[in-house]
Amino acid sequence: MLELRPIFDAIGEFLNSILPEFWVTIVSAFGTGAIILGVASVFVLFFVWWERKVSAHMQQRYGPMRTGWHGWLQTIADGVKLLQKEDLIPRDADKLVYLFAPVVCFVAAFLAYVTIPFGEGLIVQDLNIGILYIIAITTFTVVSLLMAGWASHNKWSLLGGMRSAAQIISYEVPLSLSLIGVIMIAETLSMVSIVVQQEGWFWNWYVFRQPLGFIVYYIAATAEANRTPFDIPEAEQELVAGYNVEYSGMKWAMFFFAEYINMLTISAIAVTLFFGGWHAPAPFLDFIPSWIWFVGKCLLSVFVLMWFRWTYPRVRVDQLMAFAWKFMLPLAFVNIILTGFGIYLF
Amino acid sequence: MSVKQLRTEEMLINMGPQHPSTHGVCKLVIKMDGEEVKYIQPHVGFLHRSIEKIAENRNYPQFVPYTDRIDYCASMNANHAYVVAAEKLGDVEIPERAEYLRVIMAELNRIASHLVWLATFTIDLGAVTPFLYAFREREDILDLFEMTCGQRLTYNYMTIGGVGWDIPKEFEPKLRQFLKIFPSRIDDYEDLLTNNPIFLHRTKGVGVLPKETAYEYSVSGPSLRGSGVKWDIRKAEPYSIYDKFDFDIPIGTEGDAWDRYKVRLQELRESAKIVEQAIDGLPGGDFKKKVPLTWKPPEGEVFCRIEAPRGEMAYHIISDGTPKPYRMKIRTASFCNLQVLPIIGVNHMIADLVAIFGSLDIILPEVDR
Amino acid sequence: MGLVKETTSGIYNLLLGLWVTFKHLFRKPVTLQYPDERWEMPERSRGTIVLLSDPETGELNCTACMLCAKACPVAAITIERKKDPETKKNYPTLFTLDTTVCCYCGLCEQACNFDAIKLTGKYEFSVSDKSELLYEMDFLQEIGRDVKYVKKKKAAKKAKKAAPKKDTGEKSAEKPAAKTAEEKKEDSNEEDKAKDKTSGEPKEKGPEDKTE
Repeated sequence: MLELRPIFDAIGEFLNSILPEFWVTIVSAFGTGAIILGVASVFVLFFVWWERKVSAHMQQRYGPMRTGWHGWLQTIADGVKLLQKEDLIPRDADKLVYLFAPVVCFVAAFLAYVTIPFGEGLIVQDLNIGILYIIAITTFTVVSLLMAGWASHNKWSLLGGMRSAAQIISYEVPLSLSLIGVIMIAETLSMVSIVVQQEGWFWNWYVFRQPLGFIVYYIAATAEANRTPFDIPEAEQELVAGYNVEYSGMKWAMFFFAEYINMLTISAIAVTLFFGGWHAPAPFLDFIPSWIWFVGKCLLSVFVLMWFRWTYPRVRVDQLMAFAWKFMLPLAFVNIILTGFGIYLF
Repeated sequence: MSVKQLRTEEMLINMGPQHPSTHGVCKLVIKMDGEEVKYIQPHVGFLHRSIEKIAENRNYPQFVPYTDRIDYCASMNANHAYVVAAEKLGDVEIPERAEYLRVIMAELNRIASHLVWLATFTIDLGAVTPFLYAFREREDILDLFEMTCGQRLTYNYMTIGGVGWDIPKEFEPKLRQFLKIFPSRIDDYEDLLTNNPIFLHRTKGVGVLPKETAYEYSVSGPSLRGSGVKWDIRKAEPYSIYDKFDFDIPIGTEGDAWDRYKVRLQELRESAKIVEQAIDGLPGGDFKKKVPLTWKPPEGEVFCRIEAPRGEMAYHIISDGTPKPYRMKIRTASFCNLQVLPIIGVNHMIADLVAIFGSLDIILPEVDR
Repeated sequence: MGLVKETTSGIYNLLLGLWVTFKHLFRKPVTLQYPDERWEMPERSRGTIVLLSDPETGELNCTACMLCAKACPVAAITIERKKDPETKKNYPTLFTLDTTVCCYCGLCEQACNFDAIKLTGKYEFSVSDKSELLYEMDFLQEIGRDVKYVKKKKAAKKAKKAAPKKDTGEKSAEKPAAKTAEEKKEDSNEEDKAKDKTSGEPKEKGPEDKTE
């Protein structure tokens, strides 16, 4: 009905009829890139506003109310303000690295969307090593944070950068291991195939076969996205603002943007791998388009991340490491062993 | 490269005066070995307003507004300390109703002050939501103050000889309403924090203040009681009419940040209890005794201390028989409590330093005066 | 066992925290949407200082007795005065309030015997230039026009009682204070009412003091 795939197919056919093959490739590549960027940006704009609203109502406030209906234009207004801000570069900063850090952060945040199926057939490129690609690409963020922390020539930034490096190295391990259970059951690395295998009723979703894996993944992913209670690289009460203390204007906005994109990314991965991707929880609900199911599940997951953030205190950096190595890692291994037994028995 | 060639050095960092967790304008010069704090040197004085010197140039009643500014989170208690000292100096008897009103206001302000502490402490630990919950309750208390004396922060409520205004008639129902809902609100804070594993890890065993160190640095107030010392001026040397009320002094056992948190949270309940008893037993009659602007106490000196939310607040006034004090010394708790920070804060992570600083409940205008 | 217990209690308390915030999600926000909704300022609010005028004549109540200027701990009030040769009343020619130093303690209102100065619940007086914070007499009178007040002190005074009452209250609380109070009276003794009442003062001193 409202599936988007036929629309894209029609556009593809139209392009094929008027352009040579080479140009079709070029146009479709740029086109999909632009669409991903646009859709993700809209999501970020929405998330920023939504997070402010969710946090406000959890604290019995209203949040933004003055720009548009319940302040829905607030993020745009903030964006305009950030564009106008003076772009400062500290005198002693490593200028090249300083300038490139937000760009790397921004780009790395978007790259994961290549292999995320937004709906039935709505995927940029169904790589046969999809999961591997995502694990590799999401780690890029740490490079940018380290760059920012180092290049700012500020002790607080440096501490923030080092913290972020330590944190992501620790959490990358349980994160990757937690996904192995899913791969073992699905016997594929392709995101689309994994989603296809979760078809039918909701008990086919992998979260019911991999509850432990899901918990480990979700916690580790929260840490990867630098969300409270694991937002130690930023930690405004300790490190002022961590790695982005010297950034202002649009450079800062790019970091901010990337944080929210990462939030969507980890939610999208969680939905794809554990919550049946674009599938409805019951077959008779299939009349609702697949992309709506996908987006709905993502929003729910993002809400949970926000909920965490506005409930918990922040953990300390050494406790964070200890938690990763002493608790999450064994748990991930236990999950793999249990999955192995399960596959052997059934 | 061998390990020997790798050189590390301590990093000197100025934490403050513009830092979100120094609660005002305190500057901590810290030396850090990685994330670990090895040396702390607090620099104070950014907020110095020479209030003690100003006192020498003001008439006794005129100085009351200045006491508001010593501790802006607990102005009522600062008022109380000053008027009690001045009345002791001049031997002024005050009406009983005024005493009751003073106790109600002082205890309400203790609650408000502890709520501010809870708010800032939790935000230091990264939890933002309890901050707004605590401020929501504080708002109710400030409304009560505003309807009584017209101000929300600098009350100038207590005067030498009584209190400035009687309570309006809508005060009591509103207060009782507040006392009814307040315990459930404290339960909310406790649900959010007390046994939360992240909170426990951040506060248990962090910034342990041993009894002996607390004695040596004359720490007072909830920070001292967190170390297990049952010392509260309201019980030990009852001033005003505190001996008429039934309340407990909560104490901690370990002296860590969690104990200090727990003590303050229990003090919220105890203070609410005192307010309830005081409003029940509020007698009628006059609420103030007129003391003129040019009130002259007899020659002499007086030292008087009370239990403010942050610890002992004391006034030492020397009078030479003129309408202005000859010399006034104000002892504030925050100044003494801040001194233990370099002792208990070292060899902790920087995140812990923030938590310890928060748990000591230091307010900078009180440190600098 | 300890680990299991710790983990279960930890998970329980984490969920408890989530429940508390979730519960609040559906409560009505307590925020006041300021420019649209406004707080009703309590009667006793100590906000902007105004000068009160007589609602009948429109004249200022102020008799330039200087009591407020003396009571002010930060010396924010400056008064200059003149004597009306016909009525022999004092009136202020200059009354300046420096709101940059004013600490809104309300001591001036407490010191005033003539319902002339009052701290009101009015707000929103922000300006973009600091010099505009020096409030002149006309401005203070203008913003005080619609302020309602109970004329208890003045009414009592008009009933030939209050002027000595107030003064005696100040004078008699302490013996040593009497001298300075006399000094003060010298400042303000041009006010005819007070002069009229000087004879009646000693008589009423005692009882008045007690009732107060």
